[in-house]
Amino acid sequence: MATLELVNVIKKFGDFTVVNNFNLRVEDGEFVTLLGPSGCGKTTLLNAIAGLEDVTSGEIKINGKTVNDLGPFERDVAMVFQNYALYPHMTVEENIGFSLQLRKRSKNEIQEKVRKVAEMLELDKLLHRLPRELSGGQQQRVSIGRAVIREPSIFLFDEPFSNLDAALRVKTRGEIKELHQRLGVTSVFVTHDQEEALSLSDHIAVLRAGQLEQYGTPEDIYSKPATKYVARFIGNPQIDIFVGEFETGGEKLSYRIGELSIPVSSTIKPPRQAVDMGVRPEFVLLGEKGFPASVRLVQPVGPFTYVTVEWQGGTVTARVSGVSHLQPKEKVHVKFAEEGLLFFNRENKKRIDIEER
Amino acid sequence: MRAFKKTATRLIIRMTLAAFTVLALGPVIWAVVTSLLPLTALTSRPPDLNPLNMTLENYRLVFDSSRGLFSGLINSFIIAFFTSAVGLVIGSTAAYALARLNLPGSNKILMMILATQMFPGIVIAIPLFLVMSRIGLIDTHFALIVVYLSFILPIVIWILKGFFESVPLELERAAAVDGATPFQTFRYIVLPISLPPLFATGVFAFIEAWNEFFFAIILTRIHVKTASIAIAEFSGQYQTLYGQMLASAVLASIPVVALAIIFRKFILEGFVEGAVKA
Repeated sequence: MATLELVNVIKKFGDFTVVNNFNLRVEDGEFVTLLGPSGCGKTTLLNAIAGLEDVTSGEIKINGKTVNDLGPFERDVAMVFQNYALYPHMTVEENIGFSLQLRKRSKNEIQEKVRKVAEMLELDKLLHRLPRELSGGQQQRVSIGRAVIREPSIFLFDEPFSNLDAALRVKTRGEIKELHQRLGVTSVFVTHDQEEALSLSDHIAVLRAGQLEQYGTPEDIYSKPATKYVARFIGNPQIDIFVGEFETGGEKLSYRIGELSIPVSSTIKPPRQAVDMGVRPEFVLLGEKGFPASVRLVQPVGPFTYVTVEWQGGTVTARVSGVSHLQPKEKVHVKFAEEGLLFFNRENKKRIDIEER
Repeated sequence: MRAFKKTATRLIIRMTLAAFTVLALGPVIWAVVTSLLPLTALTSRPPDLNPLNMTLENYRLVFDSSRGLFSGLINSFIIAFFTSAVGLVIGSTAAYALARLNLPGSNKILMMILATQMFPGIVIAIPLFLVMSRIGLIDTHFALIVVYLSFILPIVIWILKGFFESVPLELERAAAVDGATPFQTFRYIVLPISLPPLFATGVFAFIEAWNEFFFAIILTRIHVKTASIAIAEFSGQYQTLYGQMLASAVLASIPVVALAIIFRKFILEGFVEGAVKA
């Protein structure tokens, strides 16, 4: 059981700053994901937490104690690697038991513990196989087993699903979540996959170029993105963002995008600075009401269909339940649900909470 | 048409391989044949290759003669064994350190190791002889082992460094997270998965030391004469005993060939892995 704290962590490779002034606090038993595109510094940060890489400056604290100068083992963290990093010449049993063997535990104790872990991960029938004789999913479970047997105070996961096929990925995701619910061990998970982040985490840290862009619950990150960057990074298909301006003429408040005037809840007070407006697909409604547009693209994905419509000066994607019978070029009317509109300061790209009037 | 092309390509490849085989095996076969023929058959013009004349006489003479092939083989074995063994122990640890430990100036060290290989042996032969004779090491196993190590170690270090670098870093990181010290990581993880290249390099070192002639003839006199020198001595001032010379050569190559056959799987794996993963 442990808390983890990063205080003003900076990591440079030569002149290149990979992680810049990073602060984060992970509470005991929390599952936190570091989310960002490749090259944003998330894996470097994880390695720094693990003690596999030194930080240039700043502090890493576990349970309030600074661990900068401690090796990975003394930090009592366990890590699951992207390519599993199973010892190829050792059987499943030896792989899982290696850390105990290094600590000179008795053979019986090691065997007993390995057996327990293997049972939990459904590996008990594979104990005498070599890693190369296992499927990708089984290898993955062995690498988790190797971490679990140590009963560490923190689990670190470095993109553990990226080598699995889509179906197995979702299954393993569920297993990791269950494991976390069962063991309650503080966990830090690194991924570039928003779906993984949203489905697993208590909190998500969105990284951009080595900096923390937003830290929040999955709900917050999705529905109240702190910046335009987060709004674009989270959500699939991407949020549509328009450059326009508020129109305060008359009683009704609206947001003007080119020729188009989108009605906005009249209870809000338009901000003074220039703002962009974003809307996610589920808040774009196709039907009889709204402005006219024509269908450009229809993409069914099973439970939903994503319909992209265009008009003079813009396009937007809508999420329609079930199967849509719309055809390309067909005329529709488009309406944006007022509660789903997000506004971003055009200057600093930050989202602004529009004040209620 | 395509089928024809395929057949033609295959034919060309096979013929090329056959040519290489003949080229490589020709001298070996010639050596074996020569070792089985009496000197008179070899020195007549044209050589008399009648298989009915074949005899094991040369082999008997080689062992009976006082030229010391037998002790030469033993000397060669001692020297080659220790050269490859010590070379592997020092070379593998050095290679691992240079590949993985982020030592300051490790590139410079590597270049310096390589630079020692740039001198032709003849350049250092005389100074080496002087040094060795001053410290009284002429005609000792030790002298040859040290000298052989000096040119085998750099090769071992460079080959193994390339291999160690191809070992996924995550493996070593996983071991570090599991609580292994760098030495334990080397001992329990890196070394076991490096057995094929280690065997391959070991066999390579053994063969190099076994076959070496130049330094052996400079640094030995009587006691530590190696097999290669014993073989050369069949060529005298007045006559060359071709049959006995090549019988000795065939005998001397048996250990090396045996080594290559025993470790064939490892050697192939070792070199293939080095090639693909690097």
